[in-house]
Amino acid sequence: MSTLHVVSHSPFSDTRLGSCLRLLGSEDALLLCGDAVYALQLQGSALTSLEDKNVFILEEDLLVRNLECPIWATGVDYPAFVELSIHYDKVNTWL
Amino acid sequence: MKFAIALYSAAHAPSSRRALRFAEAALAGGHEIVRLFFYQDGVHSASSNIVTPQDEQDIAQQWTTFISQHQLDGVVCIAAALRRGVLNEDEAARYQRPGVNLKAPWELSGLGQLHDAIQSADRLICFGGP
Amino acid sequence: MTKSLLIISRQAPWSGPGAKEALDIVLAGGAFDLPIGLLFMDDGTFQLVPEQNAAALQQKNLTANLQALAMFGVEDLYACRHSLNERGISPAGLAVADVQPLSAEEVRAVIDRYDQVITL
Repeated sequence: MSTLHVVSHSPFSDTRLGSCLRLLGSEDALLLCGDAVYALQLQGSALTSLEDKNVFILEEDLLVRNLECPIWATGVDYPAFVELSIHYDKVNTWL
Repeated sequence: MKFAIALYSAAHAPSSRRALRFAEAALAGGHEIVRLFFYQDGVHSASSNIVTPQDEQDIAQQWTTFISQHQLDGVVCIAAALRRGVLNEDEAARYQRPGVNLKAPWELSGLGQLHDAIQSADRLICFGGP
Repeated sequence: MTKSLLIISRQAPWSGPGAKEALDIVLAGGAFDLPIGLLFMDDGTFQLVPEQNAAALQQKNLTANLQALAMFGVEDLYACRHSLNERGISPAGLAVADVQPLSAEEVRAVIDRYDQVITL
């Protein structure tokens, strides 16, 4: 069973992304949206801990923040978000 | 694919807009939405008393239009709504409150409707927070 | 086939209605005899601290509700061991009986086991 974890809180002010990364499995994926895309601004080992995961990023949240999708992640629009939610067995949004 | 979509944030939260755009994309992709369930602060996304500045997008209005247009089942959790002052005509009369801010196409109902939606859908997708 | 649901409760007990509203989803599921599990994580583990005094804030006793979960048919209770350790909460003296502390690996396995999950 695979899970798509969705996080929208900034990792600089909130523990959700850290907790999520602790239990993310190799079959699982992470979708960053909203302020969670500021995770791209993490430095050092905090950033490298993201790079070896299956990471998707909602493109509009990159665009609005003047951030670019790194090569180790995949940008998605809403139709692709819908497809992701189908591809994975379940979606766990960190509300 | 059958989706159950649950929203936990008010209309001014980016996640309310995100939920709406996801729901639109799901229908556009030929999928079905068995129910939209509004819980916790999500009940504010159903309020008909929201006045958005004219030069900003009116997400509350867009939710109402979306649900009406596609004749979707938009359910607002009654316990969460009462606690936050989101009342339909019946509840305003029952508790003798002066304002009604929940109208069709929305319905007030219990958490059983969330569980029922989870059982009948292939996927549950929740939206909330920022 | 009936789908199972895991609720991950991350809110501290006295920070507003969040903890109770997470519990309400669990109780509603139990009332319909649905297979439902409850996992305490992050600040949600503060709900498990013994001898809290709800009356100090004129609040209702959340612990009593948690202790009654078994009566509502909800018996799969878990807590994230990392969250407990981080907060200095001893897994031995939790306010609710039969809560299983889980490692990160076990938390992942529990999430895998359920059909749907809500983290709030």
